[in-house]
Amino acid sequence: MSRARHNPKRELWLAWWTLVVFYNFFFPVFFVVTRVQPPPSPAWDIARQVQWFRAHHFGILVGFAVVFLIAGMTTMCNALIAYSMRRMSVSPVFAYSYLVMYSLSAVPGLLLLCIALTVGALRPERDPELIGWIYDFAFLSFTGTMGVFLIGSLVWMLAILTDKNRVFPKWFGYLNLCNALTEVVVAPSWIFKRGVLAWNGQIAWWLDVVVFGFYTGVFILMLRRLIQREDFGTGPLPDLAPNKVAAL
Amino acid sequence: MTDFETDLETDLATTNKHARFVPGQPDMWAFVLFETLVFTAYFGFYLFYRARSPELFLHSQAQLDLHIGVFNTLVLLLSSWSVARCVQSARAGAYQPALKDAFLTALFGLVFLVSKVVEWARQIHIGNGPATNDFFTYYFFLTGIHFVHLLIGFVVLGVVVYQLRSPMRRSQELIETCATYWHTVDFLWVLIFALLYVVR
Amino acid sequence: MSDRGDNEAPGRRVRLRRIDGELILLWTLPAVAIIWIAAFVLFPGFTPPMSPTMPAEQVAAFYRDNQWGVRYSMILFNWFGVGLVPLLILIVMQIRRMAHRTPIFAYAMLGCVAGGPTLFLVANVCWLLAAFRPERKPELTQMFNDFGWITFTTLVPFLIAQSVILALAIYFDEESRPIFNRWVGHFNLLVAAALVPAAFVGLALAGPLAWDGALSFWLKNIAIGVWIVVMGVAVGQAVYRERAEYRQRGEELVSA
Repeated sequence: MSRARHNPKRELWLAWWTLVVFYNFFFPVFFVVTRVQPPPSPAWDIARQVQWFRAHHFGILVGFAVVFLIAGMTTMCNALIAYSMRRMSVSPVFAYSYLVMYSLSAVPGLLLLCIALTVGALRPERDPELIGWIYDFAFLSFTGTMGVFLIGSLVWMLAILTDKNRVFPKWFGYLNLCNALTEVVVAPSWIFKRGVLAWNGQIAWWLDVVVFGFYTGVFILMLRRLIQREDFGTGPLPDLAPNKVAAL
Repeated sequence: MTDFETDLETDLATTNKHARFVPGQPDMWAFVLFETLVFTAYFGFYLFYRARSPELFLHSQAQLDLHIGVFNTLVLLLSSWSVARCVQSARAGAYQPALKDAFLTALFGLVFLVSKVVEWARQIHIGNGPATNDFFTYYFFLTGIHFVHLLIGFVVLGVVVYQLRSPMRRSQELIETCATYWHTVDFLWVLIFALLYVVR
Repeated sequence: MSDRGDNEAPGRRVRLRRIDGELILLWTLPAVAIIWIAAFVLFPGFTPPMSPTMPAEQVAAFYRDNQWGVRYSMILFNWFGVGLVPLLILIVMQIRRMAHRTPIFAYAMLGCVAGGPTLFLVANVCWLLAAFRPERKPELTQMFNDFGWITFTTLVPFLIAQSVILALAIYFDEESRPIFNRWVGHFNLLVAAALVPAAFVGLALAGPLAWDGALSFWLKNIAIGVWIVVMGVAVGQAVYRERAEYRQRGEELVSA
């Protein structure tokens, strides 16, 4: 059997590394190349918004071209997280729900911003009012796509808390709740054009990004530990500590 | 890494192990710490912006009804007392009184919820909405996000009731964990109350 | 013998996979393909592909003059936009049959299947919007047109991922009795490479990278077309082979 010849965890590690590579592109592209994060202010007047597009013209077009190449990597990330839920003692419903929710999250929550800003940057001579509309569309769709991440995080949280296979520690389940709450906190960005709750506000953006960044770092580490511990059984996942006897 | 199974057999062992450190799952305390940090950040922003426009904040604060604030605080403190009693009863094996206390806690929580909604309606009625000025943005935001935590608290109380109902479950550790969450909700409210209503 | 099946709990896979109806879905592919080609050819914006350098007035005039062509073809596309999903899911099912230890590849493929048609439908809606009120301000029509074209051209991330994941799944499969031949994997990597230039469509308003250019339009769409045909045949072969195996197994059971 070929399975005996190859490392059975190969595909899991492939998924994990895809995840790591993706975020290593994602953060530089958004923060350095395109510089669309931290986001500009919704309070700016249209002239200033047009100026922003001019200043970010090349970065936007190149940076988002990269995103259009690699956005598909998120499917491997979601697959790995869905797999973690299949390893749990809970119903497959959790894994499939999460997979569907997060699969469709990339379109409104990531790609719409990329497409809109690309269209905005495409024609610098465009009617300023239209650029203003594109500006709002891009940033609001990005930060304001909340439901998929909110409910998705809650699904993962529920799976972790009811799991008997100890796939993840309970505190990580609670951390999912913290991440879900950031989607609640960002809701006022649909209402406020200035202040701490605007889409660039200290609470709705800065604090939320800190929580999200922390959460992302943690789940990357958690998934790594899961793969290391994986025994391909259906019972409790054995611990990593060398002096612990494996459960199976 | 310690075991967090909810089996009755292992539960007793783990409760004894944890009794020395913290009640309930240590994981819940990690969550409490994290949420406290986040709320501290919120309070930090509040104080920063308050220092920038003290008259505006003072004037707006005066429009809050201190009586309702005190009432809310009392109600939540009572709910913390009843949930603590619930934990005690459960530990002593008196599950029916514990169940009653759990429902009592939920009742107090409900009173708080209703009172909060009434207060919001009043404020909006007299013309103070979330977008009115910076103070009221914070007011509605802080009380709003606390409200969400309280709603989650009801789910948590539901877990307590579910555990207490059947002798097959009744994990003392889980009940203590849930109580910890409820105390956190109370604790956060006390801070919000102090900041928004009292400190002038 | 059941190691080719799903990779969940051992002992569950004695039961054969339910495959009724798959042939029907498989044979919808030629029908959908014909409809897609028809819609593609009917869309005035594709034949020949509209230039990004068209000024707003010209774009508005285009939608005024080609109102019905745009509407009919795009409505057709809207109906059948997800028509290829059964083929994609048939591929997912075949991936499940491969000798992988986990369902990771199948899950990732499912994710890709969700993304591609969604983006296509967004482009579709934008074009239909552009044609809805031709008397609108020309700049507005041009913006909808831009959205449609950019979305249509940059919907490649899920297609690239799809091909790469399928190729990897094939390479990770058992070599002695693969579900798909290895060259299908190589082919998919080639297609993925062919789709790469289209991601850079924003960088040029004229030339091969522009949305009407040799790379972003012709190479991309031809690659997709060829992929549909080749994968249709490959999946068809895999499906028929699987049914033959089941029949054989059924006969063995009977004669046992």
